[in-house]
Amino acid sequence: MESLSDTTWDVVICGTGLPQSLLALALSRSDKKILHVDPNEYYGSSDAAFSLQEAEEWAASRGRAGDSVFSAASVTKADGQDALRSRAYSLSLTPHLIHTRSKLLSQLVSSRAFRQVEFLAVGSFFIYKPASGSDAKPSLARIPSTREAVFMSTTIPARAKRALMKFLKFVLEYDSEPQTETWKPHADTPLVDFLESQFKLDDELRTYVLTLTLSLDGRASTRDGLAMIQRHLTSMGMFGPGFAAVYPKWGGDGEIAQVACRAGAVGGAVYMLGTGIQQLKPSDGDEELEIELTNDVTIKSRLLVRSSEAPADPIQRVSRLTAVIDAHIPSLFEVVTEGAPTPAVAVIAFPAASVRSGDGVASELPVYVAVHSSDTGECPAGQSVLYLTTPCSTTSKSVLEQCLKSFLSAVDAQTAPTVVYQLYYEQSGGPANSSLNGRVFELPNSSLDLSFNDAILEPVHQAWKQVMGGEVSEEVDEEYMKFKDREGMGDDDNDYD
Amino acid sequence: MERPQAFANLWIIIKTIGWVLALEGVADFFSDRHYHTLFRRLIFLFIDRDPARPEPPDNWADWRAVDQQNDADVLRSELGFTIPLLLESPKCYWIWKYRLWLLQETIERLDVQMARRVWEEELGLASKMLTKDKRNFHAWGYRRKVVAKLESAELDGKSMVEPEFEYTYKMIGVDLSNFSAWHNRSKLIPRLLDERGADAAARKDFLETELNLVREALNVGPEDQSLWFYHGFLMREITDYTGRPTITPNLSESEREEYVCREIDFIKDLLEDYDDIKWLYDALLEYSVDLWNLTGLMPQPDELDEYWEWLQRLQKLDPMRKGRWDDFEMMLRKSARESSGL
Amino acid sequence: MAQTPAASAALDLATDAHVKYIQSLDTRKDEYDYWLTEHLRLNGLYWGLTALHIMGRPDALPRDETIDFVLSCQHENGGFGAAPGHDAHMLYTVSAVQILAMIDAFDELEARGRGKAQVGKFIAGLQNRETGTFAGDEWGEEDTRFLYGAFNALSLLGLLSLVDVDKAIEHVVACGNFDGGYGVSPGAESHSGQIFTCVATLAIADKLDLIDKDRLARWLSERQVAGGGLNGRPEKKEDVCYSWWVLSPLAIIGRLHWIDREQLIGFILTCQDPELGGFGDRPGNMVDVWHTVYSIAGLSLLEYPGLEAIHPAYCMPRSTIERVIGNK
Repeated sequence: MESLSDTTWDVVICGTGLPQSLLALALSRSDKKILHVDPNEYYGSSDAAFSLQEAEEWAASRGRAGDSVFSAASVTKADGQDALRSRAYSLSLTPHLIHTRSKLLSQLVSSRAFRQVEFLAVGSFFIYKPASGSDAKPSLARIPSTREAVFMSTTIPARAKRALMKFLKFVLEYDSEPQTETWKPHADTPLVDFLESQFKLDDELRTYVLTLTLSLDGRASTRDGLAMIQRHLTSMGMFGPGFAAVYPKWGGDGEIAQVACRAGAVGGAVYMLGTGIQQLKPSDGDEELEIELTNDVTIKSRLLVRSSEAPADPIQRVSRLTAVIDAHIPSLFEVVTEGAPTPAVAVIAFPAASVRSGDGVASELPVYVAVHSSDTGECPAGQSVLYLTTPCSTTSKSVLEQCLKSFLSAVDAQTAPTVVYQLYYEQSGGPANSSLNGRVFELPNSSLDLSFNDAILEPVHQAWKQVMGGEVSEEVDEEYMKFKDREGMGDDDNDYD
Repeated sequence: MERPQAFANLWIIIKTIGWVLALEGVADFFSDRHYHTLFRRLIFLFIDRDPARPEPPDNWADWRAVDQQNDADVLRSELGFTIPLLLESPKCYWIWKYRLWLLQETIERLDVQMARRVWEEELGLASKMLTKDKRNFHAWGYRRKVVAKLESAELDGKSMVEPEFEYTYKMIGVDLSNFSAWHNRSKLIPRLLDERGADAAARKDFLETELNLVREALNVGPEDQSLWFYHGFLMREITDYTGRPTITPNLSESEREEYVCREIDFIKDLLEDYDDIKWLYDALLEYSVDLWNLTGLMPQPDELDEYWEWLQRLQKLDPMRKGRWDDFEMMLRKSARESSGL
Repeated sequence: MAQTPAASAALDLATDAHVKYIQSLDTRKDEYDYWLTEHLRLNGLYWGLTALHIMGRPDALPRDETIDFVLSCQHENGGFGAAPGHDAHMLYTVSAVQILAMIDAFDELEARGRGKAQVGKFIAGLQNRETGTFAGDEWGEEDTRFLYGAFNALSLLGLLSLVDVDKAIEHVVACGNFDGGYGVSPGAESHSGQIFTCVATLAIADKLDLIDKDRLARWLSERQVAGGGLNGRPEKKEDVCYSWWVLSPLAIIGRLHWIDREQLIGFILTCQDPELGGFGDRPGNMVDVWHTVYSIAGLSLLEYPGLEAIHPAYCMPRSTIERVIGNK
């Protein structure tokens, strides 16, 4: 094989996060010369999934400020838990659930990459209800999001059910006449106000609906909120009864990134981990870039694709707390629809003001907790991984810790589960747009959203067009991410034996 | 390995090939990829025994055990073979029929417990088919047949009316518009009450629960005809109870009137939220007529005004069935004339 | 009713094309599909012939060849197979009787075939005397379709007395449901096709008093969906064949006016292929003779101009029923 520096690469991709990896997948049958590097020793960049030891090493290097994406990372282990088997865990840095209506899934299907990912069902969404006068114990209430679930709910009064149904029906066709007339005037004001003024939803139902938007700050606009809820409702039942979203086994997006890189490698791309870009050298002609890698090799390429280093405007930051607990909580993973698969993920929302931080101040923003059972392959049987997320603030770490405690006291268990391991960090979101500067194409980082945001797929598509020569014909574009099975991988006659 | 039977079986294999060629006539039932699997299975079916199987042992009981296991294997393998065909052509009569034949063979050839296991698995398949297509006519009919067999003495069975009734509820929980499930529910109720040995009070409770259920459903799906048909079924159990078994044979006349009035009030309350759905007006008129028939009282002028209003809404909301509303109008005019004449 | 339907003013029944289409069905022996449908040959002949009679073109198929073909399908036991050499079955036997009735050839059945009495014996032999039901053949599957077929054919032959009518009617009543409709067997959900077989059986047996007419008509009229077409069950898609299965029971119980005639005519006509003839299940789909006859039969019930009247219980020309049975 020619050495790295003798080749003129069509593209150098730096970083193996989901956007870059999807680009590698998209190019995997293109016959382009591709060099895919990552300064880290692991795949996935900010979408990676870590064993405990990897997480500790990672946290040690991200403990200080300065990293553009992650900061303030720290690990806390319960006493006597030094003996945890590091490799039995796979903790996701940026765990997204993926709505079944997502374009990402249809691209994974048409590119055949889905065959190598095992998708698990995301089941019920719950609301945390603090202990109140009549209820001594805090509780979790399941959110009904289908007509049938509203029907079966025993806690919503008849009138409220009708109001909720009217809203759910409205959302299904919210983007056509005459529904648009109803919401367009309120497009940029908070959804919560719209729900009250137009649908007379009571406080509790508004919280339900708002939770389904998965809006981090709980202040989704009417325009965005309706879009999110419509996606949730139309996703429900699409791949089978009882679930609206899926989660890839063994670590979420990181797993998809690895599968996509594997496709790139099978297609002939060269992969180098632990190698980043030292600097871009001014090049003589306009035809190519000279890139000095961290291993001191200088290479030539027509294009460089990397993730953006520019901070978002305005800066979005979230606090994340990932906790391993020593219990499985079956009540969160009940099959509530006949014929549905057993879910592996449950989502619990803590509405604003439902917990107090360490110094007694009520939380101002919602907290979301994604509970992953051991079916996700992220922890051993009998344990669960909890991913808590809330917008970053001076009190957010304390609020997350309080939420964790409140959650553990709200679940049905004979003895309260204990936390055996926890990882705290803060993450900032990059710009949502891509940019092309000469021969450098910058992709956005993964979004901070809780549900996978299809918005990153478009920049990947744009990057692909750049590699393919800038202008691609409609015919070629039609075939984007559409591949046939490679030999020996397809349906064969023995499917049913 | 020596296969002494192989030569003797040659004619069967030739016959099988003939069958496969003949089957080309129904090739549209199969996609190509099933074709050679089918071929292989046909050979297996026609040979019926592994030709290399050892000679029968001296002890007949041992032989019977070996034989039974062999039969069970053949039958299970055939049942397994037709599952993908069924998933591909879930409305193909003869695949369902063929499975029933195989299942019947388990009763002929296997111990009761063994046969029962096979039939229980078949109930699982029926559920799976209904998860895939909630309204599949064949699958619902097939389910009733499998359940009847599982209940029968042939398989040492006992009544399954309670779990089947529960199953209809689960299917309604998946999709309220599943008329097949509501229908099956209506068919199970008389047996259910008999087997529970329900007395008058228990029957009244049952009716109450059932009305609650469908009212809850109507709260969220008032445009759904399945729900109104089922509500109508319960109302008929209350109002039209002579000469046939009903849920509540022992209600007094005044109790029946009370029930009807309560349901009319419920629908009027629904109107507050859903005033543009024709089914509400249709039900209001139907139950009002039931009430006259029960009480034998002609409607009062103010009631008539209400009926006219409902009827006009219906004529506007549902012009497709104009003939039906016109017939009702004639009936109403006639009643009004008689009423004023009295 | 209006003579010219307004909704279909733009679209007329392409009678000539349909006649040609039906005539062509038997001339395609070099095509694969022809042989694929051999197991339906005799039914196909009945469907095509009925459509031709209703369109006023009874002579479009040669009478002598038709009789020869039908008689060549008959077995020793009196029953008919789908084609020469095929096993005898109720469904083909009924089609044979209907064809012979339509072309007034019962005397040929006596002279050259096994005779009416033997046909009646075959059909009567398929009744389960304990339950009153009928099987399709000796292999036993029971279905109200076969019961209806038996009543249809035996009444045409004047041999209804060969079977236990009361038991059969009891069975039909047991197939009834709370919605006023009927299913394929006791316990089964109402379905428009099965409602036709049960209601037509009750009509042939003069037992229409056993039907809850308003309730049944209500359910049937709700089969009409936006666009004018009819479906077979709640929440299902429309299909032009229900123009017969839903309409005929409505006609039998005198509630044809409970659906929108103009809109249905409009829907049926959009399902035809006006150039090459024939009807498909929905607009633009492949045509076949089965959907063709039930579309034309439906139009006849709707008194579409230029069509012969059809008998709703028999799906045969009214004139045939009057000639064979009398004014029924």
